[in-house]
Amino acid sequence: MIDIWLILRILIFPGFAFILLLTLFCDWIERKLEARIQNRVGPLVAGPAGLFQPLADFIKLLTKEDIEPRDAKKTVFKFAPLVAFTIMVFAICFLPIDGASVLSTGGFSGDLIVILTFSTVASFLLFLSGWASANPYGTISSARVLTQFLGYDIPLFLIALTPAFIVGSLSIFNIASGFTLASGQLVPIILLAPWAFVLFIITMQAELEKDPFDVPDAESELVGGVCTEFTGAKLAFLHLTRDVQIVFGSALVVELFLGGPYGPVFFGVPAFWYSLWFVLKLLAVVIITEYITTLFARLRIDQVLTANWKILLPAAILSLMLTVILVHWVYPLV
Amino acid sequence: MSNNNIDIVKVIQSKLGDKVQIQLGQLGTAAINVSNGLHREVLKAMLEADEKTGLTAISGVDLGTTLGVLYHVHTSNAFVTIRAEVPKDNPKIQTIVDLIPGAAFHEYEVSDLLGVIFVGNELKGHLVLSENWPEGIYPLRKDVKATEVKLSPAPEEEKAPDIGKLVKIIIGPQHPALLEPEKFAVTVDGEIVTKVEPRIGYVHRGIEKASESRTYVQDVYLVERICGICNACHAYGFVAAVEKILKTQVPERAKYLRVVTLELNRLHSHLLTLGHAGLEIGYETLFQYFWRDREPIMDLIELTSGNRVYASLMTIGGVRRDIKDVDVPKIKTTLEDLRKKIPFYRQVYENEPSIKARMRNVGRLSREDAIKLCVVGPVARGSGYDIDVRKDDPYEAYGEIPFNKIVYKEGDTWARMNVRMDEVEESINIIQYALDHMPKGPFRIDVPRNVIAGESISRNEAPRGELFYYVKSNGTANPERVKVRTPTFANIPSFLQTAIGENIADVPPNFVSLDPCFSCTDR
Repeated sequence: MIDIWLILRILIFPGFAFILLLTLFCDWIERKLEARIQNRVGPLVAGPAGLFQPLADFIKLLTKEDIEPRDAKKTVFKFAPLVAFTIMVFAICFLPIDGASVLSTGGFSGDLIVILTFSTVASFLLFLSGWASANPYGTISSARVLTQFLGYDIPLFLIALTPAFIVGSLSIFNIASGFTLASGQLVPIILLAPWAFVLFIITMQAELEKDPFDVPDAESELVGGVCTEFTGAKLAFLHLTRDVQIVFGSALVVELFLGGPYGPVFFGVPAFWYSLWFVLKLLAVVIITEYITTLFARLRIDQVLTANWKILLPAAILSLMLTVILVHWVYPLV
Repeated sequence: MSNNNIDIVKVIQSKLGDKVQIQLGQLGTAAINVSNGLHREVLKAMLEADEKTGLTAISGVDLGTTLGVLYHVHTSNAFVTIRAEVPKDNPKIQTIVDLIPGAAFHEYEVSDLLGVIFVGNELKGHLVLSENWPEGIYPLRKDVKATEVKLSPAPEEEKAPDIGKLVKIIIGPQHPALLEPEKFAVTVDGEIVTKVEPRIGYVHRGIEKASESRTYVQDVYLVERICGICNACHAYGFVAAVEKILKTQVPERAKYLRVVTLELNRLHSHLLTLGHAGLEIGYETLFQYFWRDREPIMDLIELTSGNRVYASLMTIGGVRRDIKDVDVPKIKTTLEDLRKKIPFYRQVYENEPSIKARMRNVGRLSREDAIKLCVVGPVARGSGYDIDVRKDDPYEAYGEIPFNKIVYKEGDTWARMNVRMDEVEESINIIQYALDHMPKGPFRIDVPRNVIAGESISRNEAPRGELFYYVKSNGTANPERVKVRTPTFANIPSFLQTAIGENIADVPPNFVSLDPCFSCTDR
């Protein structure tokens, strides 16, 4: 028996179409915000205040000629961008968006690990796409992608465990619901472990390869980074993957620290309010990360790695230790 | 400096007085005519007497049966031209690279364009000419006819290098970090640069040769086209050299008007570079801010000259347009607005952690190396090598205007950018002072169209460093030879040295700290 509602959920809301629109909207917010900070106007022409510019750019790229370099590893070159995009969207499907995940389930125990693994696999596919393009810029950029996400995945996982420890569950639904106080009230994790929130935002910045950690696509050294040899539809999907990654990263912050989609329901269906809270919280995180991006210059790869191994990793371990102590002796009292 | 009082001419006279012929007051402090081989002795004597001796340029001139090789040498307080000649059928002369390492590029250029062979530093292939240029034809020789030049088929392009342990990254001729076409083949081991091979000449337009077939007035506008950014400096360099041959005294007001134009040039050039450096290290916000504040300066250039980019203000005998009294308050308020923003920018450059991480200790050039490699301008001043033609050899009204020579000792990219940051403020002061003390009177005088036979040099401090012009006239309406030594040409050797052993990510900020201009370099 095919459930028509489930198919609609997967395809339209809160599934594929919603995620795609949200991605394009976040892209527009980022571009507009960056432009205003830099004394520019940003997108202006397509749609009201340039709202449709990301979509226009995407369609424009789809219509462009698709060129494959002679020496490229054809299969990987063709499919890596598409698979990376698919995996990213799939990972978002596990997150509670309107109170339930896209698949309309309450999740399962340990889905946090699965989601984090998906994001790593997507990064790995980005690395593969650059490596397969047989271009020195792409090769070096790929090496940097690999070095960077291998390094930053460790603190990312460790800090993501902080909320899991507090709630006592590896299920993203339980974490998003928040911590139950002695009085029975649910509070988001950010109130209990604000330091972990700050650390997570910084690590996320590195995972998403945004300034000051955007060494893999440093255009002044590496031209287009892993995208150098890509054109047309493949390039469109690489760009889209990057944007979906940003939405995914921000959504993860929302789920882990900001109480997920849950918030006050004033009237009507809870799903509407949950989606609204989710989008608003997501935009807040996107604005924070974009603000950081505009404020800094790009670091060098060795400085990025130093920042990881000497600062973020010890900080993540300390954060975890602190959490364990708090969970045992302090939080039960509040 | 303790050795500021050395009379370098007397030193040469006492050491080699009987072997060389000294003409005081020509081509700088003195021109020294030497027979073949003795130029090294003169240079050695100068290097011993003054540690700040460096080569400014080598000019090659076709003298009919012989080729003249002119070494323009600067010391801490003098400018000497050593004039040697080589026969055309056997154009060999001893190299000076072992004495002054920075001379290599200058010698290559003379080899390429005039066919002089520098024994010990022979040019393999070409420096500025294209790879398929025919053998044995040297474009700057007088007997070359354009019809003789038959280009052979273009050579095969380099094949994409294998991906192994050593990767060769080609920066240029088309690359987002270089806005102009020039190629640097950078070999990297992992992320560390092990070798940099330059190839210039992609935009060589033969302006030196072209100016020989145009009149002096036309040439002013031709040389102005060498560079879009420091255009006024190029026009001024040529005009000043011609005026020296004519022995023209420019009116006082014209001197001040020229200073204003040259400083506006420097202002917008420095703001451009300071912003561009931000772009190279991925700091787009900084770039946008600087370029926003550069716009009013462009408007000022339009206000004073009528043109936004090419000022076309300099002319032989003065300037072409006066600054109206009603415009002076507008210029002053615009500059004051810019001055108010400087403390903020200086704070960003000094304290912003990511800028410090990317610029501190990157591209370190010691003072000794700076002197050896004969670098100029902010690159030299960032390494504690205090040369500034405006102070050392004042021209126009610079002798009467108080301002500071900006010197930083660190010698890294950060220091070079901070030299520019401080010079922006100095430039504002200079323009304000010049506007306040502008003498009344005419702003140009008439000069004869035909220039009497003679030769002269001019030096001026362009935004990127010392710009050198050598002009030789033969009494007709066209010059016999125009030689231009641009600042970037002198600064490239320092980049080739400092990039080695550093991270590939340091190449763009290091390179942009030279403020490279390739249309200048190639001419």
